[in-house]
Amino acid sequence: MSEIYINSIKQISAQKPLTDEWFDAPVRYSENYVRAIDPDFRQYFAPNVARRFGKILKRALVVSQKALEESDVTNPDAIITGTGLGCIENTELFLDKLVREGEELLNPTQFMQSTHNTISSLIAIEAKCHSYNTTYAHKGISFECALQDALLQLQSGGIKTALVGAHDEMTPAYFTLLQKAGFLGQANQTFAGETAVAMMLTNQKTEKSLCKIENVEKFYGNVETWRAASLQVSDIDYIMLGTNGVAETDRIYYENCQKLFPDIPLLQYKNIFGESYTAPAFGVYAAALCLKNGKIPDFLEQRAKLVPPKRESEEQRQNAVRKILCYNQLENKNHTFVCLTSKNLTPKK
Amino acid sequence: MSKILITGMGIVSAIGNNVQETLLSLQEKRSGIAALHYLQTSHTEFPVGEVKMSNGEMKKMLDISDNVPTTRTALMGMLAVREALCHSGFDAQLFEKQGVDPFLRVTGKRVALISGTTVGGMDKSEQFYLDFLENDTHNAYISTHDCGACTEMIADYFGIFSQVDTISTACSSAANAILLGAELLKSGRADIVVAGGAECITKFHLNGFNTLMILDKKPCRPFDTTRAGLNLGEGAAYVVMQREDSTQTKSLAVLSGYANTCDAFHQTASSPNGEGAYSAMKSALENANLQPQDIDYINAHGTGTQNNDASEGVAIVRLFGSKIPPVSSTKAFTGHTTSAAGGVEAVISILVLQHDFIPENLNFSEKIAALPFIPYVGAKKISPLRHILSNSFGFGGNDTSLIFSKA
Repeated sequence: MSEIYINSIKQISAQKPLTDEWFDAPVRYSENYVRAIDPDFRQYFAPNVARRFGKILKRALVVSQKALEESDVTNPDAIITGTGLGCIENTELFLDKLVREGEELLNPTQFMQSTHNTISSLIAIEAKCHSYNTTYAHKGISFECALQDALLQLQSGGIKTALVGAHDEMTPAYFTLLQKAGFLGQANQTFAGETAVAMMLTNQKTEKSLCKIENVEKFYGNVETWRAASLQVSDIDYIMLGTNGVAETDRIYYENCQKLFPDIPLLQYKNIFGESYTAPAFGVYAAALCLKNGKIPDFLEQRAKLVPPKRESEEQRQNAVRKILCYNQLENKNHTFVCLTSKNLTPKK
Repeated sequence: MSKILITGMGIVSAIGNNVQETLLSLQEKRSGIAALHYLQTSHTEFPVGEVKMSNGEMKKMLDISDNVPTTRTALMGMLAVREALCHSGFDAQLFEKQGVDPFLRVTGKRVALISGTTVGGMDKSEQFYLDFLENDTHNAYISTHDCGACTEMIADYFGIFSQVDTISTACSSAANAILLGAELLKSGRADIVVAGGAECITKFHLNGFNTLMILDKKPCRPFDTTRAGLNLGEGAAYVVMQREDSTQTKSLAVLSGYANTCDAFHQTASSPNGEGAYSAMKSALENANLQPQDIDYINAHGTGTQNNDASEGVAIVRLFGSKIPPVSSTKAFTGHTTSAAGGVEAVISILVLQHDFIPENLNFSEKIAALPFIPYVGAKKISPLRHILSNSFGFGGNDTSLIFSKA
């Protein structure tokens, strides 16, 4: 089976867009709902195009283009998108008018841009890319569904490059709805954010490669039942968790970690990037950057839960960031595991 | 490589609430397109392919209490998945009696549910949208809105699934679900896959298609020169898939090839040369290791819009040249079931293989001048069918072709 690498990742989020500067100087927020910091879209789109596309589409196009450029791939073998809610802004505009003003005089552009697959297909139209193109929309594991599809095809040799995206926008009205539903804006919860992440997966290691991607596993139902048979990971240095400050959610994370992978130091990312259905893409991004840089920034460490790594020699201390397992769960029902390793780590014989 | 077998199937659509009714409707040429009955909308001018059951009737069939929040899409999905599982040897009685899954309990197998949908729980969202915003009377339906919620409602009804995925590629969603199912089986990540799609008719969809001016006020006429748009349909259809080396279950058909490509032309229109459609069909043939002449029937996407049928027709001519096998669209039977279409037409394709008949392309009267072929209208004698190509093309040029072969 081929080794698969992540060769570039680009993001637009609550952090400074299209850079990794947050790694050294993160922006912190005290609000419960934060829109993404957009780059100057005029640099990327003609004014008439910029007006036509919704926020989620503009962000997706820009991060995709940047991820392609950085990895020197112009025509990927697959474009695979994960999005929990799809183009919710246009969906809402169309629905609002339909409900309030009746079934006449509705706007076709809003309908065209309301479907989830608009994102992936628009990226393909812009990149003139006729290859495999698909979209996953499964709540908080949408990104991992997309990532697993890419990995399956890369590992089988069916494709050599895949552009994998994670995209969700959050409107004020939908924030209020999801607050009522208990997903966002709860007591002590990290802010509700927006996600635009594009990453290039390939079977070629380059100087720019951030890390290797070993495995993506998804489980539904009782995680322990499936774990024994299917999830074999050893020598994990850190676990990147989707903890979000909600006591009940975090308790599930900590308990499952203790059962599955006891005494491994824990990391977090939602304190920096916020909560959204595709936020787990930031977990993978943050972990990939830690592996690339060979260090963990303080603000990613879960101090209260920090277990000191059991290292012995000086050499081991210097190479202490070699394998990070990203664990995401929803209501203790959906569980996903993404295993990343340092790009220079050679597998044990 | 071990073959991917279809070992069960289930369907709910305008032409029947199960596989048997579907077969009879196809053979007896009974369309399910009719005036609107269940959906409340001011657009009563459009005929549709509604499933002939109310939500209450479906809940009764599924033994779900009236006060459980659920959506029409999920209910149709549960009915179709239940039929598919039973068909495949799933012991429903044991399940109901003991509340455990016979597959898992006996074998410890990994069972995946992969479902395609686009508007998910929109039927309830459009009904309760103002309540969501202004009061707390229907908050339970906020969480049933998204696509993933629909898949999980179906999964939780059975409680046997170890992995769930939701695909949303518009009208090719269910076909892509079946494609992913094959990949999961081949990679060994799943032992049994239930894949397909579900979508109910909503005001959102009906109005959306209406703004694009692609709904016909008369019954749709795929591949006819007078065609003037599609009839919206609804339904759910799923197949059970297993690797040949991991099952003793009798197979109904083989999924011998598949491909997903992108037209990359326009957000809602297909390219004039049918590039995406052409490459999806061509790559599916390559994937199946078959030649164009091996295909005995094409179940076309054939929505009845000017654009789709012209583009798909050109793509068929490009690939098959002068030897075009019988082509028909079954959308004049079922309406365009959007995200479910790939599943509905997979079930129809398998029925065709099992019973050696070709569903007639209803409502055809006049050939499209630019195309050298007419769709199948029942004249030709049918010899045993070996391989069938089924097309599902979605907005954004998400084009997928599946090839089913005789078991």
